[in-house]
Amino acid sequence: MSIVAEILVSFALVVSGIFGLVGSVGLVKLKNTLQRLHAPTKATSLGVGGVLIASMIYFYAKYGQVSFHELLITLFLFLTAPITANFIAKAYMARNLGDKDVPETTGEYGWSIYDDPPSPGSDR
Amino acid sequence: MGLGGTLLLLIAVMPFAGALLPGLMIRAGRNVCAISTAVPTFLALTMLVVLAPSVMQGDVVQAQIEWLPQLGLSASFFLDGLGLLFAGMILGVGLLITLYARFYLSGEDPMGQFYTYLLLFQGAMLGIVLSDNILLLLIFWELTSLSSFLLIGFWKHLPEGRQGARMALAVTGAGGLAMIGGMLILGNIVGSYNLTDILAAGDQIRASEWYLPALILILLGAFTKSAQFPFHFWLPHAMAAPTPVSAYLHSATMVKAGVFLLARMWPALAGTDAWFYIVSTTGLVTMVLGALIALFKDDLKALLAFSTVSHLGLLTMLLGFGTQAAAVAAVFHVINHLTFKAALFMTAGIVDHETHTRDIKRLGGLRHLMPITFLIGTAAALSMAGIPLFNGFLSKELMLEEASHTDWFGSAYAVPVMATIGALLSVAYSLRFISHVFLGPVRDDYPHKPHDPPFGMWAAPALLVAMVVIIGVAPFLAEGIVTAAANAVTGADLHPHLKIWHGFTPALWMSVIAVAGGIVLLLLHKPLDKLWIAAPRPEAKAIFDRLIAGLVSASRAITEIGHNGAISRYLAIFTASSVALGWVAYSSGGLSAPTRELLPVSPVIFVGWVMLIVATLSVVTMHHHRFRALVLIGIIGLSISAGFAYLSAPDLALTQISVETVTIMLLLLALHFMPKITPKESSAGLKLRDGVIALGAGGGVAALAYAFLLRDIETISDYHLANSYEGGGGTNVVNVILVDFRGYDTFGEIIVLGIAGLVIYAVMHALLDGPAARRLKNTDYSHDRSRDRHPMMMVVATRVMMPIAIVVGAYIFLRGHNQPGGGFVAGLVIAIALLMQYMASGFAWTQERQRMEYHTMIGLGVVIAGLTGVGSWLFGRPFLTSDFTYIHLPPIEEFEVATAMLFDLGVFLTVLGGVMLMLYSLSRIARFAGETVNVDPMDYDPADRITDEEER
Repeated sequence: MSIVAEILVSFALVVSGIFGLVGSVGLVKLKNTLQRLHAPTKATSLGVGGVLIASMIYFYAKYGQVSFHELLITLFLFLTAPITANFIAKAYMARNLGDKDVPETTGEYGWSIYDDPPSPGSDR
Repeated sequence: MGLGGTLLLLIAVMPFAGALLPGLMIRAGRNVCAISTAVPTFLALTMLVVLAPSVMQGDVVQAQIEWLPQLGLSASFFLDGLGLLFAGMILGVGLLITLYARFYLSGEDPMGQFYTYLLLFQGAMLGIVLSDNILLLLIFWELTSLSSFLLIGFWKHLPEGRQGARMALAVTGAGGLAMIGGMLILGNIVGSYNLTDILAAGDQIRASEWYLPALILILLGAFTKSAQFPFHFWLPHAMAAPTPVSAYLHSATMVKAGVFLLARMWPALAGTDAWFYIVSTTGLVTMVLGALIALFKDDLKALLAFSTVSHLGLLTMLLGFGTQAAAVAAVFHVINHLTFKAALFMTAGIVDHETHTRDIKRLGGLRHLMPITFLIGTAAALSMAGIPLFNGFLSKELMLEEASHTDWFGSAYAVPVMATIGALLSVAYSLRFISHVFLGPVRDDYPHKPHDPPFGMWAAPALLVAMVVIIGVAPFLAEGIVTAAANAVTGADLHPHLKIWHGFTPALWMSVIAVAGGIVLLLLHKPLDKLWIAAPRPEAKAIFDRLIAGLVSASRAITEIGHNGAISRYLAIFTASSVALGWVAYSSGGLSAPTRELLPVSPVIFVGWVMLIVATLSVVTMHHHRFRALVLIGIIGLSISAGFAYLSAPDLALTQISVETVTIMLLLLALHFMPKITPKESSAGLKLRDGVIALGAGGGVAALAYAFLLRDIETISDYHLANSYEGGGGTNVVNVILVDFRGYDTFGEIIVLGIAGLVIYAVMHALLDGPAARRLKNTDYSHDRSRDRHPMMMVVATRVMMPIAIVVGAYIFLRGHNQPGGGFVAGLVIAIALLMQYMASGFAWTQERQRMEYHTMIGLGVVIAGLTGVGSWLFGRPFLTSDFTYIHLPPIEEFEVATAMLFDLGVFLTVLGGVMLMLYSLSRIARFAGETVNVDPMDYDPADRITDEEER
């Protein structure tokens, strides 16, 4: 394995380690649920992403084969993390916050959690 | 097995085969139903008649089919004189009862059911009298108890019917159990369960030290069945049955089964002092007691019931005497009792049917209103009384003759005097039956204006009464069958001559005393009745009920110890005893020296192990918070599957992950409707106990695993590894084990899984009807409910994922035979894909888009798996033998096709159906609790908004 590849792999691993650490510290340190939500979804996603990039480079440099497993894992990670965060946030708001605790939306409709769906959906 | 044997088998099978008909034929009308019942009976009777001449000559027809030769059980039948007599009675009277019941049963009674039960009972009775194997006989014996239970309790709406049926089943069933013990001892003594062998080994049996226990146990069976004192009380209570049932069960069949058994076992068991004193004394007491009670019964059927008890006592006593002449008298009286008693029951039924009462005190004077019935009833009752020129007289004379020279504990008078008293009482109640029902002035207060019934109803009793008179006048006509039966009973070559006039014998004088005394008693009935009612007497039913109540509470107390309804107790008992057994095994066997080194523990594994421990401890401390506990359980499950993967068990890891996912999802959904926190219920002591048990069991399993890991042990795995590819055609040993080596287990397991799904569904039905339902209705879940229940992101993502997940599932399914995977995992993967759809868009919305019912899916799965197994029969192989081959279809590579794959498809469908049915049940709760059903897949659909703006 060339030195360049080794440097790249190390770099990706170190970066992922830092993000992972930051994410974990955030999970412990941040005050409430909505804040804590950011730590694992953003920082830790990047951390795992770094490991995956390192793995792809490693297998290409060492064995000369392009591995797609990591891409798939990335895909699923990017699919599940935001949806999970979205769900947790919605659940938290529905249970703990009311209509008054959030600012008015600037768009046509209100918050999806507190207001009924727009009518065309139902009277179709 | 010649033609006779074949016919004999057909006779035995005919009622059971016929029992399938009436239930169906009732749709074509009541007449067709009755005819379809009569036809199999008639056919069997015809075949019997064909066999009769050779049997009367003394031949024995035999037929045998091996059933379970290892147990000595074979379906073997034989027909000798005794069997012929009883089979003829069962079938002949069965035919008459069929006719009578056709007119007796009202339009509201389910006639198809009745005739089905009747044929089942008839088949069971025939089985008893034709069996040549005592184990087979026992089976039929229990069958009569069961089918008579159905018949006696036929009028389910009457509490007396139900109680009477239960009592009959309890008493005769208990006797049957005793008899099983006796028969097994008998079989052990002789070394064969074949009746023919046993009957031939009489001396050996009587000489055996086990003779007395066997005798007592068998007699218990016979006495309970034949209602002998002190087990006589069930018979009158069984009178709650419809009259055709009473006439059939209590004249010709059920109660005669005990007598039949005594007669059948006569050559093997009779002839000892024990036999004489037990059997004849019981018979004598029963005869007198039954007759005495009968005299004071006001219910027509109760009177007849106790008279039956009395006559059964007479028969038992005769067989108990153990002499050949007594056996002849017994056989003859069986015939005579059948004819007059069946006719009397039918007469009572007619009276009840016409006047709407069976209370003798409300009847009288019916001879003017119902002349035909009067004639039939009187002739039959005179026969029961033992008046000359009726057949009852003949056998009663023989009985008194035998009684007159029987010594009982050295006393020459005890038996004759008691027998005379029995006969006297018998005359009294028979005459009472005639005079209080038919004679006297016509009354004007019958509940219903009586008149003679239609011909169909009196035809059967009239035929029987004709036989009563014919035999009574010309007894030599019955000599043939009596000789054949008596020879079969005694095993001797007898030539009895049945005559009316025997000269001035002691028996004649006893008879005269009986008749005269009977008339006197009848005249004195009124004052005697008052005395009887005033006298305190034990009420059998109350005693029985107390006994049963005591038994029930005793068994409940015993059951409560281990089976109190709390799962923690079962688990504690189960776990503690497993640990104890493990300890016993360890301390008795010892442990060989370890042959392997422990592998080094890598840091990653150590971290995983610590996580597992921490998560487990957390569950223990936090289990009162259900959601938290669930999350922790999820962590444990995933750690375990990682462990499987590390230990080179990819199949297990895959299964564990999918099972874990499905379980957690379903549990989450279920938890929504349950309290979020469980109450603290266990005391400190209980916690300590549970903790000790848990630590003991956990430590034990760990020690066991540790011991195994350090030793080279020969296991069945080596066989599996060696044969998986060559024998099962798959390189994935786990899958080959599941679908091939242990396919039968898997088949059972998927059935269990399917049943579990169905049970959850069924229990949910019941649940939504009880207190849980009220709680659901009254709990307000609306604050939990977001307006945005089906967020767009989730809906879109799951839709995109669906085909991918299904492809993954198909892939896992197809490669299962050679690579980690298989039907079970594939089913779970697809279930998860569907679960995600349900979670994203709501259950009802998704439900509308699936074509196949989950019940069907489960059923189809089991059927496919079963058919795959059965398929191997076509090639002469045992159930679930698998086969495989390789196919090469050009653009694709060569691939393997195995029948195991079809089996796996069954597994797949069952798993999928089961899981989805559980989800469906949860969704029903949700909707019951007030959750609305959405029309659209998602609540906010941006696509709608655009059209909306365009419209504006």
